[in-house]
Amino acid sequence: MTLSYLLRRVFHALIVLVMVGIITFFVVRLAPGGPSLLADPKLSVVERQAIEERLGLSDPLPVQFAKWAGQTARGNLGSSFLYGAPTVQIIMTRLPNTLILAGTSLLLTLAVALPLGLASGLRPGSAFDRITSTVSLVFVAVPVFWFGLLLIILFAVTWRVLPAGGMNTAGQEGNLPDLLRHLILPAVVLSAASIAEILRYTRSSTRTVSTQDYVRTARAKGVGQWALRYRHILRNAAIPILTAVGLQLPRLIGGAAITETIFGWPGMGRLSVEAALGRDYPLIMGITLFVALAVVTFNLLIDLLYPWLDPRVRAEA
Amino acid sequence: MPKRLFSVGLLTLGLTFVPGTAQAQSGTLKLPLINDPIMNPVIAPDLGSVLINKVIFPGLVRPNEDLLPEPDLAKSWTITNGGLVYTFTLRNDVKWHDGKPFTAADVVFTFKAATDPKSGSRLVSDFSSIKDVVAVNPTTVRFTLSRPFAPFLTLLGHNAGILPKHLLDGKPLNDATAFNRSTPIGTGPFKVTRVVPGASITLEANKDYYGTKPKLSGMVFKVVPDINAQVAQLRSGELDWVNVEPNNLAGLQNDPNITLKQANAVQHFLVFFNQKNPLFAPAKVREAMQYAVNRKAIIDGVLKGYADYPTGTLPTALKKYYDKSIKPIQFDPARARALLAQAGWKANAKGQLVNAKGEPFKFTLIVDRGNPSREQAALAVQQDLKKIGMDVTLQPLEFATLVRDYLLPGKYDANLIWWTTPPDPDQYSYYATGQDNNSAFFSNPKADELLKRGRETADVAQRQKIYNEFQRLEMTNPPVLVLYYPKELQAIRKNLSGLPDLGIRDALRHSEEFQLK
Repeated sequence: MTLSYLLRRVFHALIVLVMVGIITFFVVRLAPGGPSLLADPKLSVVERQAIEERLGLSDPLPVQFAKWAGQTARGNLGSSFLYGAPTVQIIMTRLPNTLILAGTSLLLTLAVALPLGLASGLRPGSAFDRITSTVSLVFVAVPVFWFGLLLIILFAVTWRVLPAGGMNTAGQEGNLPDLLRHLILPAVVLSAASIAEILRYTRSSTRTVSTQDYVRTARAKGVGQWALRYRHILRNAAIPILTAVGLQLPRLIGGAAITETIFGWPGMGRLSVEAALGRDYPLIMGITLFVALAVVTFNLLIDLLYPWLDPRVRAEA
Repeated sequence: MPKRLFSVGLLTLGLTFVPGTAQAQSGTLKLPLINDPIMNPVIAPDLGSVLINKVIFPGLVRPNEDLLPEPDLAKSWTITNGGLVYTFTLRNDVKWHDGKPFTAADVVFTFKAATDPKSGSRLVSDFSSIKDVVAVNPTTVRFTLSRPFAPFLTLLGHNAGILPKHLLDGKPLNDATAFNRSTPIGTGPFKVTRVVPGASITLEANKDYYGTKPKLSGMVFKVVPDINAQVAQLRSGELDWVNVEPNNLAGLQNDPNITLKQANAVQHFLVFFNQKNPLFAPAKVREAMQYAVNRKAIIDGVLKGYADYPTGTLPTALKKYYDKSIKPIQFDPARARALLAQAGWKANAKGQLVNAKGEPFKFTLIVDRGNPSREQAALAVQQDLKKIGMDVTLQPLEFATLVRDYLLPGKYDANLIWWTTPPDPDQYSYYATGQDNNSAFFSNPKADELLKRGRETADVAQRQKIYNEFQRLEMTNPPVLVLYYPKELQAIRKNLSGLPDLGIRDALRHSEEFQLK
């Protein structure tokens, strides 16, 4: 890995961000409708014009774009229409909440999907494999909002062992057990689909690797079961799994919209729904750029991890 | 060591399953909001903000159970000069939540800001009749109106909470100030103590409140965006009061801890017909459509009976002005066909309604997407009109798109929508010729005259006559097709009492009376 390789990748990432910014700006502005602040049919013409002027919507679109691009280049993502506060500030108040939920979901995903996927892949066609495959297929197919509401009804309404939503009981902010109680259901819902996907990746990758000649050779040489599974099979099966996990991360951060909305979790996903429904242009742009940044960063990190895991990639890089 | 860590982990996990921290907050009423509110009544744009502002910021008057204005920050008032001058005597025992005294200067400041479009005020139209407002002395305020305007008192008790001059004078009202987002200062029975963005707003009882001492120790407004999640939280005891839609009833009707209550809402749900379109210009056509739509089926089927059958645009909630003696128009497709025939529209061999040139009666009905009751009602209207031979296309649209791209530019044939009005019969801006909210482009000289007289007449008995006459006129020349007057459907935990018989907006003006057993 050379410095020029790294710089080239960073440059590509910047181009992606610029393209995302330009495309999103025009797609969002040209979409039908407008800011929800203007959607009250009772507003008089004068009131409507005053709001448009205040939001900077009375300029022609190219002028609006030039203004937006200029201030974005200086690191200013503008003020949210709905919140009246700087977009960056709003994203930063919601980001830690999302990281808590996304981090827990990722840990849960890896803790469940990797061992189950590995075990399935090593015993293809067994009863265990068939059960995990069927269950994971179900979880890939189940709509998130339905699964979320089902868990709320079971655990919060019927059995009353867990709260139905929110991040804390009001007044209990900072109380760890209270936070954990609120975290369980959304984390399970958010990770359900990820678990199913990673499990299936792990299973097929394990299966492919375990039929390779070097595994047979190692087994013939009398390498122990543990070493065979973890040193020879899992390590070589890890590359496609890593790619799949890398693809889950931006989804967990930016795309947890439905889970966060159902559970009233004050994170980025819900913020993006609010921004989209309210046509809060600066906030939509801010969140999109932020998620795009997360995607290119994760991709870059994963690309940097490949050579470490696989010497063949190291030689090519 | 790992064993110890494991035990701590188990203990923490165990604690997470201990149910019922919510019960520890008895005396704290928990209500839902769908997003973070703006806690400033002059600029608040959405219903959630309006609701919390009702608790924090009282107005000069507030509506009683008959929706008539009763004293609040004002002790009394006089109306002189033929309804042009309103003089209010204010209470002298009111303090802001920061301890500063409330005076007439605060009222003057609030209404100067409310009538200035540059301030971002949402109350400009409500108070466009104000010519001048002055503080005569610290406890007397005088409003001079540019024209007699009977709904003035009602509007003072509607959304016009009073703001503190000492904190906001000279500052832009619209910015994301701490005042608007985290530390509002009002004079109401509860004051804000903590705001967690995206999650909750906690209020505690205001010990210095000038009225009856609040019976609750506090209130929490929780941000719960999804209505199904709100219902689940109500059932699990994490919320105490949720306004629901008829399609949410299934899970609530058998819950022994929940009471369902109907409250009168000053709303009418309707279909606008764009009367610039020659199809809808003849009054006979609009009258015919009234007979063609089976509104009882919509009320019973879609709204599960939680609505009143309509006669005109004045909802039954306006008890004083609603003329019960007027017989509602019944579902009568045969009569609709006869009226349409008089207007030149007859069914052809295929059953399609066509005019003398053979052109079909064809139009598109738009409705906002996402609300099951409204979408189903629109579908029912479409089907009923199809039965008499009209070719109706149903087009659901996202609300902001519907308003901005269709309603405001007048680019629509028909539109299912609703009006929520202050508790006053004045509908001048909706149904008088050329007014901003007259999206049907209805124009009738007699209606114009009645609506103008109605808003200028202060005498209740005279107003009753005027609005009854308007209601009768609407039977034969309907400005719009009113479908129903909905009831606000409140699902309430049984231990909550002291709620007045009002919709949530007006009930929250009486939050000091709420009680949790």
